Amino acid sequence: MSISALRVVITLFCCLLPLSLVAQSPYKYGPDSQRQEGVPQGVVTKHVWDQSKIFPGTVRDYWIYVPAQYDKSKPACLMIFNDGGGYVRENGHSRVSIVFDNLIHKKEMPVTIGLFINPGVIPASAAGAQARRNRSFEYDSLGDQYARFLIEEMLPALGQQYNLMDDANSRAVCGISSGGICAFTAAWERPDVFSKVLSYVGSFTNIRGGHVYPALIRKTERKPIRVFLQEGKGDLDNLFGNWPLSNLQMEAALKYSKYDVKLVMGIEGHSGRHGGTILPDALRWLWKDVAAK
Amino acid sequence: MKIRNNIAMLIAVVISLLGANATVESQDLPLSMILIDGEKWELVSADHTFTEGPAVNTAGEVFFTDVPKSEIYKVDLAGKVTLWSDQTNRTAGAIMGPENVLYGASIGGGAIVKFDAAGKPTPIVSDIVCNDLVVNGAGGIYFTDHGNKKVWYVSPQGQLQQVDQNMISPNGIILWPDQKQLIVSNTKGSELWTYRIEADGSLSHKQAYSTMRLPVGETESGADGMTVDVVGRLYVCTHEGVQVFDTQGRLSGIIAKPQQKFLSNICFGGKNLDTLYVTTMDKVYRRKLNTQGVRYSK
Repeated sequence: MSISALRVVITLFCCLLPLSLVAQSPYKYGPDSQRQEGVPQGVVTKHVWDQSKIFPGTVRDYWIYVPAQYDKSKPACLMIFNDGGGYVRENGHSRVSIVFDNLIHKKEMPVTIGLFINPGVIPASAAGAQARRNRSFEYDSLGDQYARFLIEEMLPALGQQYNLMDDANSRAVCGISSGGICAFTAAWERPDVFSKVLSYVGSFTNIRGGHVYPALIRKTERKPIRVFLQEGKGDLDNLFGNWPLSNLQMEAALKYSKYDVKLVMGIEGHSGRHGGTILPDALRWLWKDVAAK
Repeated sequence: MKIRNNIAMLIAVVISLLGANATVESQDLPLSMILIDGEKWELVSADHTFTEGPAVNTAGEVFFTDVPKSEIYKVDLAGKVTLWSDQTNRTAGAIMGPENVLYGASIGGGAIVKFDAAGKPTPIVSDIVCNDLVVNGAGGIYFTDHGNKKVWYVSPQGQLQQVDQNMISPNGIILWPDQKQLIVSNTKGSELWTYRIEADGSLSHKQAYSTMRLPVGETESGADGMTVDVVGRLYVCTHEGVQVFDTQGRLSGIIAKPQQKFLSNICFGGKNLDTLYVTTMDKVYRRKLNTQGVRYSK
């Protein structure tokens, strides 16, 4: 077999494997994850952020979802999605805009603007050279760098166009895998700005030191953060750690320190399928204090 | 479970070979992919004072320096070690440039030098402070100046240009396989600084892309020389051992040092460029890995 034919076979294998896993998934999308007649649809717009000073040289796509119910005279809540491109697609693992449309329409979550941000890339300086991919650096690193990126760069940019609430209760951060620990890190570092965390198959493992969170949580005065963790028994067990065990450790530590935490343990591996199908429940739970007002 | 792990590993390999995008989650490169069962560090040469600068020629033969003695030795493909030069003026870091020409950082001479076939050095730039260097496929040279805490670039035309300053402790220096990013190790800290290389050789977008593991209770990594492999892994000599980083800057693991002494520098050598050579004080060791090094092409 020629090299190019081999590449085609391998590429097909890589593309089809996740599809075959999805096809067998026991997790099905409910009515809240499907377009419903009579429900007004929000609008999604795509943008590029290449002005970062906190992550110099990075370029990234981001998307803004504005619900049909948004009224610029009334401040809206905000939910940020790491790896935003995967969340914003209507045929992606989470169908966020459809779920938001449905839940906001039913008043099961507040009028919320969605901000979907991809990780940065520092483009190569010559054609054919590798770009410096910044996802792991931005998402897996502990510390306040990513929170400051959101607070000092993305929120002001969004605030110029939209009327947003300015309290932590009105802001949530969501992510998958490294994006999941990143969502927690943003709230952990800046609970004055972000109070709600939604993590799918979160990497609370030692990629860049994130395995220490359960220990930190137990010995740090409780912060005002609500945490929803989705995890699967078939998730990764690799050089960085064991994902199901790490998420159980997170849940136990958060419970020990009396956080408002909920873990949903499924059976699947490292994918967004299970998290995506339970997104409506996760959102109702996360936003219960604000939606009730 | 084992089958699943093997599939995950296969996917990781395939994806890394195809250069696929960052959204793939399981692209991890554990040490088990490069370590070979039964292969251990093998002594190549002993009875030196302070070995440094391993470099490999196109045949796969490895050259290393003994800094205080101003010597360079050659290790041939059969493993035989012979004195190749005794006039290096305390050359530390060394690397093979284009056309099999050995370049060195001469501490005693305060010069970046290149050696002729008889082992005689000729300065390329003088009146400088230098420790380690890397030469790209076009003959451009980056070198670390630990004394003034700077990094310099010498263009293929010989033009000297300062490209970074106010560093903490710049020491090892290497290029990505595509030669468009430069990495400098910080001996006295935990950072591996990564820069984008612009068309004129200048550097931009400096970032502590990787963080090294430190010995417990210490603040210094002891990071020194570095090398890269075909997949884009980065190998760094440190107090803790050879720290290996993946293409996203994440620590893949640490290969134990061959002896409990300072590890100064590293390169791939051998006919198939699949054997890691390390210099550590009085000795030089090698170890076969399941990967290959990189020669910077034009």
